[in-house]
Amino acid sequence: MAGATQSRLVEGDTTLTDAVAAVAVGLSATLFVLAVAAMFERVSLTGTLVGLPTVTLLGGLLVALGGTVAAFGLGSWVGYVETDPDATAGLIASFGAAVPWFVIGGGVVSQTLGLGTAGGVVGGVVAGGVAFVATAVPREDVGSTVPLGALLAFVGAVFLTGTIGPDWLWDLGWEQQASITAEFLVPVATLFCALYGGWAAAKAYGRFGARGRHMGAYVLVYLNALSIVAFLFILIAFVVVRGLPGLLHGVRIGAGVGPQVFGSVQLPVYVPFVMNGVALLNDFQGVLPAIVGTIWLVVGAVLFAVPLGVGAAIFLTEYAERGRFTQAVEVATNGLWSTPSIVFGLFGFAFLIPRFGNRKSLLAGMLTLGFMLLPLVLITSREAMLSVPDEYRDASAALGVKKWQTIRSVVLPAALPGVITGVILGVGRIAGETAPILLTMAGGTFVPGGQTVDVIGGFEFTGSPPFVANPELLQATSALPYQLYALITAGVGLGSNVSDPDGFRWATALILLVVVLSFYAIGIGARYYFRQRLKHE
Amino acid sequence: MSNSQQTTSQHQTRTTDSDQSLETTSGETVEETEEAWVEYDFQGDAKMVAEDLDVYYGDDHALKGVSMEIPEESVTALVGPSGCGKSTYLRSLNRMNDRIDAARVEGSVQLDGKEIYQDGINLVELRKRVGMVFQSPNPFPKSIRDNIAYGPRKHGDIETGLLARMLGRDDSEEERELVERALKQAALWDEVQDRLDDNALGLSGGQQQRLCIARCLSVGPEVILMDEPASALDPIATAKIEDLIDSLAEEYTVVIVTHNMQQAARISDQTAVFLTGGKLVEYGDTDQIFENPQSQRVEDYITGKFG
Repeated sequence: MAGATQSRLVEGDTTLTDAVAAVAVGLSATLFVLAVAAMFERVSLTGTLVGLPTVTLLGGLLVALGGTVAAFGLGSWVGYVETDPDATAGLIASFGAAVPWFVIGGGVVSQTLGLGTAGGVVGGVVAGGVAFVATAVPREDVGSTVPLGALLAFVGAVFLTGTIGPDWLWDLGWEQQASITAEFLVPVATLFCALYGGWAAAKAYGRFGARGRHMGAYVLVYLNALSIVAFLFILIAFVVVRGLPGLLHGVRIGAGVGPQVFGSVQLPVYVPFVMNGVALLNDFQGVLPAIVGTIWLVVGAVLFAVPLGVGAAIFLTEYAERGRFTQAVEVATNGLWSTPSIVFGLFGFAFLIPRFGNRKSLLAGMLTLGFMLLPLVLITSREAMLSVPDEYRDASAALGVKKWQTIRSVVLPAALPGVITGVILGVGRIAGETAPILLTMAGGTFVPGGQTVDVIGGFEFTGSPPFVANPELLQATSALPYQLYALITAGVGLGSNVSDPDGFRWATALILLVVVLSFYAIGIGARYYFRQRLKHE
Repeated sequence: MSNSQQTTSQHQTRTTDSDQSLETTSGETVEETEEAWVEYDFQGDAKMVAEDLDVYYGDDHALKGVSMEIPEESVTALVGPSGCGKSTYLRSLNRMNDRIDAARVEGSVQLDGKEIYQDGINLVELRKRVGMVFQSPNPFPKSIRDNIAYGPRKHGDIETGLLARMLGRDDSEEERELVERALKQAALWDEVQDRLDDNALGLSGGQQQRLCIARCLSVGPEVILMDEPASALDPIATAKIEDLIDSLAEEYTVVIVTHNMQQAARISDQTAVFLTGGKLVEYGDTDQIFENPQSQRVEDYITGKFG
């Protein structure tokens, strides 16, 4: 109470109360991590953790966290803990507390008490309303801790008492079979409770008031950012763990075991999965044709789309007078970017294929994906060029330098990192695209044998115009996303002697992920290089 | 930004709208300007001559019938309150107003007796001869060397071998000399000679502005237009720029726009005062303008009573 009118100017040493609040924040972070881990089955709900059944442990931690938070708020209210609370916790906190209590109230009344939907709504409104009032009306220290502490304690108690155990199942009783399992509910409930508990605990750690709200927001935002990283990491780890066995199937290391590259160098490792195609007599099957196909596909699409897109962006930003025409181009570009990929695929199928020898071909796939990439390259290049300061253009013009030379030597280099960002984003999209290549490039069955498309070696001179031909470009070939799709839906391409089809599929997914992320890495590296050249060296 | 269609070179009979010129922003009626105040007799030749120059931005009549002769190898200061047209006047001397879509120029500007507002004018040559330094330092995001050599390279004034260009090392002897000469003229050589390949954006604001002056010098101008070149700089950097301008006046014709009365008094040989409404009110020897202005409004302005 003492701090209600006068806040401390100088922070004291860490006190016991600080420590309690900090432990509460740490506890909620732990719960958050446990919830994420449980959601992705890294922690088994039926198993045990540090000697306790997992659900019981989660329940205990929730009760402890809720109790600590509520105790802190009440301690502040009776003046035991020195804080600077505001008069009320505010509307946002009140709604925040009302929503989970509405869900709990509704669930308990309609399901546990069996009063049906109408009763559930009434129960939810009552519980939510009580939580709203309990948050909004009292002073901030009580309002922002007690309703949320009670929420945590309630959920924790449900877990502790075994009301919701690992085997719990709520059959929704719909026409289609639908049910909510403990495997889903427990992690999700824990996750939300951890967020609420962390929020309240952080407010308490900041001793409420403006600083408390700042801490609360900080913890929420930080946990959200962390969860983004966590989801990405988990996704990659998931694919890697499942895919590695298939990838490493039949690996040999030693002098002279690998295939020859560049004519004479013999690799000392042999990884059949990425060095073989699919063939009847292979000891181990692999996806090399698909890898090479994907890489050529992306290279071709980029070579097609980047000059066109950047050129159009230069025209729109530097030359065209702003007016109806540029607006029309802008609208068309945005529309093109949101066009579904299957439509591009159909266009390629109906327009390109009849013009390229009436069969699916690498060239048709490249152009189709190039058309898809074009609008994004145009949009981002244009943004990047618009953000190049006009001072550069003025300075160049004042030196008497012509417009095109200015664009080439000043505007484009300054815009290059932005252009590359656009290409990175676009490549990320098209490299994993399945539908268009399904229709334009990949055959109904796999290219037989270990045929890896050899674009460079495929060029040959002919006696009649256009004097250069490349049959390889006009061949159907495979690409990783399509191969994965075919493997999953039809088991095509496995051959008869793959001992572990699931491992093979996961390994294909892993390689697709690696290839796409490699494109990202190359793009980010290039962007970094060009940015460095623009900045201090 | 297309050229030439907004700019016409015909000499129009000047429509004197003296009613407008009598009003200040506060609406009070003030003395009428007299033609004699802007007639400046100087010794030597005129480098640039503007006659009855009018500039419009859309419907906005930004510059009204300015006639002014700029003497060779001297510093001419343009002073006046914001929005009085002095920057507009400066930018019409090398046709930078062409780059503004809505701008329209009427009247005549001559460089060494040659009309620059006529069809078939070679803008590249004009801007090589009439260089410009801007208000905020605007070096390119390139190395110091590339900034200086940029103009000459683009104009083909430096021979760069094909091999050198492919390796990105076109530092021919000729280019090295040109970069050194320009940087020495701009009094920057001693500070940057060991780091010519560093990015120019790593320099301090004052160094960047001197780099911009060096870049302007690299194409061999005869006239240097400066639009408040020191307004974004601290006093020490400003003093260096002023010293630099002083030494440049021995060889070049410098026209400088400034808000700073003391600066104008320190560095310029003659001063032109523009006042609200886009009119040149008084033009003459700097000492005379600052010590004994003929116009009451000019005296009020330079003593800080209005503006």
